Amino acid sequence: MNDVLTTSIGEWQLANPVMVASGTFGYGLEYTDLMDISRLGAISVKGISLNPRLGNPPPRVCETPCGMLNAIGLANVGYDVFVNEKLPELRERGAVVIVNTYGTSTEEFAELARRFDQADGVAALEVNISCPNVKSGGMHFGADPAAAAAVTAAVRQATSLPVIVKLSPEAPDLRAVAQAVQGAGADALSLINTIRGMSINVRTRTPRIGPVFGGLSGPAIRPIALRMVYEIYQVVDIPLIGIGGITCFRDALEFFLAGATAIQVGTANFKNPLTAIEIIDQLHEYCIANQINPSALTGQIQISSPNE
Amino acid sequence: MNYWTCTITEIEHLQSGYALLRFSADEAITGEPGQFVMVRGDWGDHPILPRAFSLVETGPHGAILVRAVGTGTEKLVQMKPGDKLFVMGPCGRGYKQPTSRRPVLVAGGVGVAPLLFLADRIDEKTPRPVFVYGAQTSADLVLTDRLQSLASLELITEDGSCGETGLVTAPLARLLNDGVPSEIYACGPTGMLSAVAQIAMRAGTDCEIAFESPMACGMGTCKGCAIHDADGQYRYVCSDGPVFDARQIYGGTN
Ligand SMILES: Cc1cc2nc3c(=O)[nH]c(=O)nc-3n(C[C@H](O)[C@H](O)[C@H](O)COP(=O)(O)OP(=O)(O)OC[C@H]3O[C@@H](n4cnc5c(N)ncnc54)[C@H](O)[C@@H]3O)c2cc1C
Ligand SMILES: Cc1cc2nc3c(=O)[nH]c(=O)nc-3n(C[C@H](O)[C@H](O)[C@H](O)COP(=O)(O)O)c2cc1C
Ligand code: FES
Repeated sequence: MNDVLTTSIGEWQLANPVMVASGTFGYGLEYTDLMDISRLGAISVKGISLNPRLGNPPPRVCETPCGMLNAIGLANVGYDVFVNEKLPELRERGAVVIVNTYGTSTEEFAELARRFDQADGVAALEVNISCPNVKSGGMHFGADPAAAAAVTAAVRQATSLPVIVKLSPEAPDLRAVAQAVQGAGADALSLINTIRGMSINVRTRTPRIGPVFGGLSGPAIRPIALRMVYEIYQVVDIPLIGIGGITCFRDALEFFLAGATAIQVGTANFKNPLTAIEIIDQLHEYCIANQINPSALTGQIQISSPNE
Repeated sequence: MNYWTCTITEIEHLQSGYALLRFSADEAITGEPGQFVMVRGDWGDHPILPRAFSLVETGPHGAILVRAVGTGTEKLVQMKPGDKLFVMGPCGRGYKQPTSRRPVLVAGGVGVAPLLFLADRIDEKTPRPVFVYGAQTSADLVLTDRLQSLASLELITEDGSCGETGLVTAPLARLLNDGVPSEIYACGPTGMLSAVAQIAMRAGTDCEIAFESPMACGMGTCKGCAIHDADGQYRYVCSDGPVFDARQIYGGTN
């Protein structure tokens, strides 16, 4: 089964192009009752920082039309606990692990990359320069091409692991950021992270998310994410990992056609934790029926000019 | 943890927008009183998040008691036997096993759900439970016949339309004064839980309370369901709870 869906992200070979998105699948181990987590193309674990982070004051999540807002604030166990308590079991279970990293400075991102370079069982790094829910770092790096390139270059120097840089849809000039990050040595780009939004409880007149703004995710952002994948595909040569509101196989196909080499399922994991597995099964069927590899779909959107 | 694809087998419509939904899968539905399930119907992308409901029955059939308060719960109470229901669970930490002390179950509103299950599970080794059940008005008190058969029931309404007038705290405080060694199990709105916890701690009575919080995953992965505990630390309702020892959340205020 694996052969049909084999996907390359640069030098990195994956059994299939369907991953789960950071922050929506914990550390992966929570789901072992429900599925064989080694079947997932990869698991991007919850964003890891050098030290544990407690996260934002509640409420941290609320539902919005066809989506949700979150302001978790990167609550995570930190580097040590992740490496000592989570990674060994992930390795044992044969999971393909992408470590999503978060730092407040370029140096912190580099330090995390240096440490994970030595850790056994990490397949790739996903540099999160796009989190909207933290005061420092996060989205600020992702908004500015020079800052994004600096983080990418520092991480690139610190590790020989594949480096994926996760882009923010809030960058004023996303194409410039993508090109700068490619120039600084990224192996792939993942996009998009959430878009800031808000919601008000009109009865109490209070924000429905503690820090007022939260990151919007889910099907509500899919058309925006798809447009961005399409746009960035035109201007870079490195593979793209499409993220944003993917809930089923058809949604995944859209992203491949727009230019993605792989995809990540995020919010839909809450709806049904087996979403990614179901997409893998359907993609497998589709690729057999059409005698193709998923990579044959990348960027294959057909756009006819109005006069044809 | 399981992800059950279920069929609704029966819907019992009760007063005030309450409905008891029974469902079954091709295997038994498991779970203990106080544990909950994340539930969704086979609808499109809205609402996308599953909703949390306390288990009321487990076994060949599972059951939840739903009060229609918004988009998701409205959809659920309008479902029909034969409809598909996606149920993930059992989630969280339930109530601890009752001991030989008298169980005092204190429910506010839809908080009756997990306590109905608990009352049903209490066996002969435990003294007959007392069930204090409060709501706004008489129509909001559901399944009282069933409760009557399981416990000695004390009803209380804010408007006095049924039972005593007032809040559950008055009969609770009175009960604890009779000197019978007791333990308290509570579920209801936050204000009620806080008041019940204060009474319990003052009386030195063990008290377990079940909390609510907005949730996305229901299994400890999204970190969305944080509440503050007595030490100002975050606790996660779905994985550390939903049932907590009252002292963990309200402790130290004597
Ligand atoms: C562990 C747990 C167990 C629960 N058990 C039961 C149960 O047995 N029976 C039952 O009827 N309900 C139960 N609830 C509450 C139930 O999950 C909410 O009523 C439901 O999510 C509301 O969804 P909705 O789409 O109808 O409302 P929405 O349209 O999302 O919101 C309508 C109103 O409900 C409030 N609300 C939304 N989500 C929650 C929530 N998770 N908790 C409290 N208020 C909320 C909103 O603030 C709003 O005022 C439980 C909640 C938790 C966390
Ligand atoms: C609750 C939650 C937590 C998230 N945490 C992270 C995170 O730690 N790091 C990160 O890079 N992205 C995080 N994200 C963003 C997702 O990985 C994804 O980019 C985004 O949700 C869009 O995809 P979706 O619409 O499929 O959810 C989080 C999203 C949600 C909903
Ligand atoms: S609801 Fe996701 S961690 Fe509790």
